[in-house]
Amino acid sequence: MSNVYIDQFPAEAKVIRAAFYSSFLALALGGVFGIIQTLHRTDFLRFMDSVDYYTVLTAHGVFLVISFTIFFLVGIFTWAVTTSLDRGLEDIRFTWGWYSLMAIGITMTGVAILAGFTDAIDMSASVLFTFYAPLQAHPLFYLGLVLFVVGTWVAGVDWFRSWWAWKAENPDERIPLPTFMVLTTMLMWYIATLGVAAAILLFLLPWSLGLIETVNPLLTRTLFWFFGHPVVYFWLMPAYMMWYVMLPKFSGGKLFSDPLARVVFVLFLILSVPTGIHHQYLDPGIAEGFKFIAMTNTMFLLLPSLLTAFTVVASMEHGARQRGGEGYFGWLKALPWRDPVFTGMALAGLMFAAAGFSGMINAGMNINYLVHNTFWVVGHFHLTVGTAVALTFMAVTYWFLPQVTGKALWSRSVALGQVVVWFVGMTFMSNAMHRAGLLGVPRRTAEPQYEGFEFQAAVGSIGELDAQIALGGVLLTISLGMFFANVVGTALNGRSDDLPANEYAGALSGPDDAPLVLDNLKLWTAIAVVLVIFAYTFPLLSIIDRGGLFGPEVIPFPLTVESATTLGFALETAASTSFESAGEIATSALTAVMR
Amino acid sequence: MRISKAALLVVIALTVPILVELRTVLAWVNVELTVLESAVLGMTMILAILIWALWPQNGRGDPSRSG
Ligand code: HEM
Ligand SMILES: [Cu+2]
Repeated sequence: MSNVYIDQFPAEAKVIRAAFYSSFLALALGGVFGIIQTLHRTDFLRFMDSVDYYTVLTAHGVFLVISFTIFFLVGIFTWAVTTSLDRGLEDIRFTWGWYSLMAIGITMTGVAILAGFTDAIDMSASVLFTFYAPLQAHPLFYLGLVLFVVGTWVAGVDWFRSWWAWKAENPDERIPLPTFMVLTTMLMWYIATLGVAAAILLFLLPWSLGLIETVNPLLTRTLFWFFGHPVVYFWLMPAYMMWYVMLPKFSGGKLFSDPLARVVFVLFLILSVPTGIHHQYLDPGIAEGFKFIAMTNTMFLLLPSLLTAFTVVASMEHGARQRGGEGYFGWLKALPWRDPVFTGMALAGLMFAAAGFSGMINAGMNINYLVHNTFWVVGHFHLTVGTAVALTFMAVTYWFLPQVTGKALWSRSVALGQVVVWFVGMTFMSNAMHRAGLLGVPRRTAEPQYEGFEFQAAVGSIGELDAQIALGGVLLTISLGMFFANVVGTALNGRSDDLPANEYAGALSGPDDAPLVLDNLKLWTAIAVVLVIFAYTFPLLSIIDRGGLFGPEVIPFPLTVESATTLGFALETAASTSFESAGEIATSALTAVMR
Repeated sequence: MRISKAALLVVIALTVPILVELRTVLAWVNVELTVLESAVLGMTMILAILIWALWPQNGRGDPSRSG
């Protein structure tokens, strides 16, 4: 028997394969919509009506950041738990159960979105992946999302069950690092998804079903971002896991520090959620003080990312020196650049560093006003989720796919070309997006050119920026084509007996060096919950207080003179009460400080 | 060759971000490059890297085999 994953865990390999293929299907769909909207926006090729732009953009967003990323990560989490605990899952039917929930859910959501392209069915969900009210989707869209998320919850239970069973047999051992990462990520995810579950189940779904008339848009938005920030860590933490437990292996060495990796994941668990309001710096109706708290938490959240950068580079250097690398920078030459898994992850990490810089600008409350809702933001997150995560996932596919299919990779050279083309394409696209954003070019706009107004470019011109974006988009699409050629080619290969063993990197400083308290998941979860309560109770209460649980009184429509006066009166009272309550908060804060 | 073919590929890829950002940086010191000029500059950079990488090292035979 060989040491390939499919031979060790044949049943689990099947589930992982299913998850991967679902994820790749979503990536392919998302990619097609990506290039369509790129060429449309930049006015190089407009074959659809601009009215359909939001449907395309919704499909792009939802398929890529919900289905592609999450299907892939449940695959590698299953691999991580089974491999590091060295035991199969407790009940494979249970596992297929959560996979099916996720698959059915996302199909429902996908159908609701794609139905928006045809008038034949009275259904649409062109609400973008943020589904802000008053944009309203068909109930199927929300129901599907709920099923999908419940599927991930059950998946978490599956992995916890494995760990509990393992712990009963190994009471005195430290949690193996990959499992530790999976468990902390899932705990974070449980807390985070409460927000979106509340937004959908209490408000948006009943509203879309016609059970309630109105919602409070600020409330549902805030609940969305309660989930919307931590979801980025749900994508990122699996990528980090790959950088920690796989990248050192491919560099030819060991992870620099296991305890530091644990610290990083604990920090993510406790700091990911109480930061969501940093997406709402420009939302009226949330007091500046609350935004300031969110900003402070966000800045703390930079710490685990900087720790990661340090550990990952240190591990790579260690690997390179093991392979004979020498000198201050000479060791870089000794890294295995020929290996697409390594090179892809290294380039993804490099782009993530750039994303960190634009992220700090987004995070600063005052400077955010400059870039909010501009194309800058789109440039930023194509570096984070669109590259740090997506490119890492594509790169590790070249190692995982042979593991779970038992077939050799179709072409390593095409794979290497693919990751490099992605890097170059994303450089062009995201650089121009950032720069366009600085000129005020808006995001989420089918035709960002206006009559009687010209964006003033400091360097070059808008036309050049558009060309650069389109060039980048085309390169990215070519890169995706190369990726799928490899996936299909590999699937068509025969079984190979010559595959590397299934293993992950050891650590220079192992788990025994980590303080025991790091493994106390209950403690960290409790702290995370307390921080969330601190960060969110008052903002939520004041939002409900001002705007009502289900929105303000319904304003009669169309407006008449009479209703306009009522509206004016309502606005006036709303304004004065908000001043009053702001004053109250200030007074009570002052007295609190003075005491 | 001084570096492996794969490393050379990566080094060439890295010229792209340097090039696009350089254009912005140069604009601050009032050097405004057109797209064509930038492309020519990029080609020159890549050519220089190729010459550096392919030039035999200190006249030794074929160092690419030495690792
Ligand atoms: C072929 C590669 C890709 C191209 C050409 C592309 C292009 C674009 C463009 C032009 C936009 C902005 C549209 C607008 O605001 O008007 C956009 C938005 C977006 N992209 Fe991509 N993208 C690609 C890959 C990805 C990947 C891999 C991800 C994530 C894994 C991603 C996630 C997103 C998200 C979340 C949005 C925002 C959607 C919204 O505003 O609701 N994209 N993409
Ligand atoms: Cu965020």
